[in-house]
Amino acid sequence: MIAALKPFEAKSERITFLSMLAVLVVMLLLNTMVGEGSALHLPAYTLGNWGKYLCYAVLAMSLNMLWGYTGLLCLGQCLFFALGGYAFGMHLMLMTVDYGKVPEFMQFMGYHELPGYWYPFYNPFVAILAVMLVPGLVAFIFGFLAFRSRIKGVYFSILTQALTYAAAILFFRNETGFGGNNGFTNFKYLFGGDLRTIDATRWLFAASGILLLLVYWIIAWLLTTKFGKVQLAIRDSENRIRFSGYSTTHFKLFVFVLSAIVAGLAGALYVPQAGILNPSLMEPKIGLDIVVWVAVGGRGTKLGPIIGAVLVSALKSYTTSAYPDYWLIILGGLFVFVVLFMPDGIVGLTKKTWAKYRKKEVPA
Amino acid sequence: MRFKSSILAATAFATGISASMAEDTVKVGVLHSLSGTMAISETSLRDVLLYTFDEINAAGGVLGKKIEPIVVDGASDWPLFAEKAEELLVKEKTAVTFGCWTSVSRKSVLPVYEKHNGLLFYPVQYEGEEQSKNIFYTAEAVGQQAIPAVDYLLEEGMKKFYLIGTDYVYPQTTNLVLFEYLLSKGIPVENIGGGLRKDAAGKVISAGNYTPFGHSDFQQIVADIKKFSASGDACVVNTINGDANVPFFKEFAASGLTSEDCPVVSFSISEDEFRALPAKDLVGHLGCWTYFMSIDSPANKKFKDGFQAWLKKTTVAGVVKENRVTCSPMVLSYNGVYLWKAAVEKAGSFDVEKVTAALQGGISFEGPGGTVTSQKNHHVTKSVFIGETLETGQFDIIESFKDVYGEPFLKGTFKK
Amino acid sequence: MNLTDLCKRSLFWVLFILGLSGPLHAEETEARRILSKLILAHSEEQQAVTEELYDHGDQIIKEVIEGWRIGKVSVFDQDGNPIALLKRGEDSYEEISSGNSFLRGSESKINRASRKLRKKLRNVVDFLDLSSNDPRERIDAAMKLGLTQKPDYVEVLQERINRQKDSEVKEAFEVALNISLLKNSDSSQKLQAVKDLGESASFPARDFIEALRVEASESDDDGASDLEEACAVALEKIDSEQKRVEFYGSLLRGLSTGSVLLLVSYGLAITFGLMGVINMAHGEFIAIGGYTAYVVQGIFASTYGIGSSGYEWYFVLALPASFFVTAFFGILLERGVIQFLYNRPLESLLATWGISMIIQQVIRLKFGAANVAVSSPQWLFGSYEFYRVSMSYNRLFLIAFALFVIIATWLLLNKTSWGLHIRATMQNRRMASSLGIKSSRVNMMTFAYGSGLAGLAGAFLSQIGNVGPSMGQTYIVDSFMVVVVGGVGNLLGAALSSLGIGVIDQGLQPLLGPVMGKITVLFAIILFLQLRPGGLFPARTRSLDD
Repeated sequence: MIAALKPFEAKSERITFLSMLAVLVVMLLLNTMVGEGSALHLPAYTLGNWGKYLCYAVLAMSLNMLWGYTGLLCLGQCLFFALGGYAFGMHLMLMTVDYGKVPEFMQFMGYHELPGYWYPFYNPFVAILAVMLVPGLVAFIFGFLAFRSRIKGVYFSILTQALTYAAAILFFRNETGFGGNNGFTNFKYLFGGDLRTIDATRWLFAASGILLLLVYWIIAWLLTTKFGKVQLAIRDSENRIRFSGYSTTHFKLFVFVLSAIVAGLAGALYVPQAGILNPSLMEPKIGLDIVVWVAVGGRGTKLGPIIGAVLVSALKSYTTSAYPDYWLIILGGLFVFVVLFMPDGIVGLTKKTWAKYRKKEVPA
Repeated sequence: MRFKSSILAATAFATGISASMAEDTVKVGVLHSLSGTMAISETSLRDVLLYTFDEINAAGGVLGKKIEPIVVDGASDWPLFAEKAEELLVKEKTAVTFGCWTSVSRKSVLPVYEKHNGLLFYPVQYEGEEQSKNIFYTAEAVGQQAIPAVDYLLEEGMKKFYLIGTDYVYPQTTNLVLFEYLLSKGIPVENIGGGLRKDAAGKVISAGNYTPFGHSDFQQIVADIKKFSASGDACVVNTINGDANVPFFKEFAASGLTSEDCPVVSFSISEDEFRALPAKDLVGHLGCWTYFMSIDSPANKKFKDGFQAWLKKTTVAGVVKENRVTCSPMVLSYNGVYLWKAAVEKAGSFDVEKVTAALQGGISFEGPGGTVTSQKNHHVTKSVFIGETLETGQFDIIESFKDVYGEPFLKGTFKK
Repeated sequence: MNLTDLCKRSLFWVLFILGLSGPLHAEETEARRILSKLILAHSEEQQAVTEELYDHGDQIIKEVIEGWRIGKVSVFDQDGNPIALLKRGEDSYEEISSGNSFLRGSESKINRASRKLRKKLRNVVDFLDLSSNDPRERIDAAMKLGLTQKPDYVEVLQERINRQKDSEVKEAFEVALNISLLKNSDSSQKLQAVKDLGESASFPARDFIEALRVEASESDDDGASDLEEACAVALEKIDSEQKRVEFYGSLLRGLSTGSVLLLVSYGLAITFGLMGVINMAHGEFIAIGGYTAYVVQGIFASTYGIGSSGYEWYFVLALPASFFVTAFFGILLERGVIQFLYNRPLESLLATWGISMIIQQVIRLKFGAANVAVSSPQWLFGSYEFYRVSMSYNRLFLIAFALFVIIATWLLLNKTSWGLHIRATMQNRRMASSLGIKSSRVNMMTFAYGSGLAGLAGAFLSQIGNVGPSMGQTYIVDSFMVVVVGGVGNLLGAALSSLGIGVIDQGLQPLLGPVMGKITVLFAIILFLQLRPGGLFPARTRSLDD
């Protein structure tokens, strides 16, 4: 068991990780190498959608860090996702016009000069830094206040929901200066490349895949450290940990900030792929959607959030076209079903079935 | 292994639908929100589009091909709108799409249509300041709604104007244009109510009182209007969006204000929205559109009767059959389909470039709201009507302007 | 149509009727004649005919003009001779010129006055109302005539002031006269009028005084500076009065907003606060209540007919109906889903979120995606004015009902044995059931009660807002905030927090606008909870993990 302390020493872990990598590579190959006429060809449009699903998956993983491993149910994870998106979106919007010119949405609001704080965002690396800093900072301030006054459980959930709700109204406001309800759209260039080409779709897909694998690895590694153990212990009995002399506040704060940064990065990659960023991304219902992804996939498992996010999003894409009038009922029914009959999500169910199957095998 | 298999299963889900394209049909996309907050308004447009397609198919289709509608749900979710637009263009290869209601949904699909060189018909009144080669705006521009309405109010002897709207681009732009327009007509600044916001240089960049989407508590605003209109000859110019109008008008009526004391002219309430309002308390308020259900013309009668007959026999899920009305966005959708049909027939092809060229050349259609003519700038010349609400929820037409040109760029054009 | 012909025709009819039905008042006959002439006259002549009406005060004038406005006047074409009709009921018409009923009214065409004409007619009605029996009507009429600032009315007002016995009416007449005098008098009179208007702090006069002040400051006549100064003093008085009214108005509006919050969150305070179930479908229960009111209204409309007196009372039935219907759905939800999740509160959140999606879409499929109209009964319509602070009746009713809900719930929980069982079960489910309380039944009924309250809230919201599939979504975040701020499990806390939030919200709105006001309140709540994590009234417990 000591060997399992490092993330990928167990064979099954290695296989999982490598098969994820393989799936991503194969999808890219099916798009690039296989000709359009072939039945195996993966259209750029589908690849683009999957790029978004991968970002959702990273977002779900970030929530799982909080909820699955630390027991903090954050209903405002979408806020960090959106903030990362806005930070990166600022750079993208600046790339739609010449240097020093005002993006179109600002002209609408009567701006003739670019506000000073926009200038640093001409540099994409500053933008990427902001993608991590802004959500991280918001999480730090909110978390510091909340954990210091020992807000936990349902209270924490509802406060995070209120936070994202307030932020959504703030960003919906035209005067706030981020395009209000119209938000950011019509992105054109990133790192000198044209975002409207198929190549951009592939690169973004690849980048999302890399981010996913990276976050997966970080989480797996964290779980093997002492930090990870404390994290799990906080989830299971916070008081016992506190009495043992650990400052749970610091631990929780660290995980909260880390998960906000991860969510921000996912948001930054999501925005150029979705092609639009609008405050509705911060609405409480999106925050609930993320929770549902994690629950459907399997809370507290490494793979669960990925499966849940991809499956539910793909199902939504499919049903909104195939059953436009019934998709809400289908998805709603699925959530109820999962909660009632699959309390540990898809991963939990597979594990259980697998365990049963193994048990039967042993005596034979 | 289980991960991979689940991914494969999901892939099958996502790519599974690939309906075979029959030779004698042409696919046409319908992209509206059938769920979420905007479903309130947009489902009616889906209904009228399906009706129009049936009507055209019954008459032989377009260029001998039957229209095959592909209906998708944008779900009031803007990224989903972009995704669905791409799906329609790339996977379904639709010749044209009719859809969108809010500005943000149009903005979110615009890059998609430009990227894949598609064609979108947009049917709802909007703020202007936009002109894409891949979008055709059958919608009312500011000059085809707000300006005529204010002209009428000025003629009525109104001296004070209270501007109120939902906080997004359409009301903001419209009110700013109106602010400039009112000043150019000699209305003093202090008689324009709702508040002003100025930039550092003192230039007004926003006029009017704004509420968030779905706002439900209009007590303060109505109290403010009551104060504003105490000395008479005041009116309210209302660009509140969609269903937030219901609490506003309920509060307005309950406060004892009537259309005689202070008429409200609204740009976002059509007959369809009126179904949710207590019409008897709102008699005499004004609306301005390019179509009213009460228009007395053979084309309108044919349209209304046809739609009602279609409603009776349709089997499409989710179509409400009782108490249905027709309204301007519905007619603009209807007009859009026929303009497209005429353009396709003129061009002799479904090719987007050719169809657009034909539309730019100027195509006329005798619609339920009178003749509409497509313009070179992708907007439409049409008649504008001012109506007064009746107890029945209908509008009584009290003024009409013929052949008003659709001009999207109005901001900064009115000088004192 | 030749006008003289028409007059002759009308006169003929008048004489004919007079001969037939003596009791018709001579005044009324003349009024009817003119009205009929007015309706049938050519639009250019109508203005002139209107003037004639001033000489004949009669109730019929008001009736016809009001009917004309709302589309009850129609014209029947009898072989080229038009006859003006007034619709009296569903299928009964009356000939305006004679007052006789007219049988073929349904074949007539609705006639409508132009806006301009209606404005003139409005003045006629106001003029008539000056001698109305209703003091309210007299006040309104005087104000409206005064605001026109037409010299014609000065004398009329002056003459009638002394006839007023009611001091409130008399004051209104004086204000109206003074506003009129601001334009139609010499400078000394103007000065006096300005002073008087300042004394009575008349709001409608504000714009006129302001205009006069500007005018005076630009003129260099004798006494212009005096007038300017008087204007400034008067404006100051009016403004300070306006501030007072705004302050109390905001307070009252805050109370009503608070009552709305209270109604929508009280059910949640029970299901979430007491029972620990995070019911995300609470908003949809509100919607179910709203739709129940809509359905009840429909049943009343088809039974009694819209506008009938029976129909007016639909709301009285809609309230209990929405309570019980929603409570029934609450039982279904509790039995079907929630009873399995009492030990897993966060998962009740997920399941009910799914339920909320399903309910929304089912409503959409059943009733259509568009909002439905629920009208206010006439007895809830209008507003009450108290020292110039006005509040609509349905808002007042709402406040009263919120109080009723608080008291009823308190009595239920504290004075009945069922309440005792509820409290016992909520404190410790296992202990209570081992003492013989059927805890599963108590759970079910408590959840039903909480859901029923949501339904009631929905019925009320139908009076002031939308009834639509997603109407509850607007309130769900707010409701949870109210409960948390009040202290989970504390109903009094929920009541106080909703009223507090309402008053603060309405108090901030005039300063910050509706959007920033709301944001500020939300951030204030978040900060407040950092300071007092347990809310206003934290639940006291000795257990470490909750």
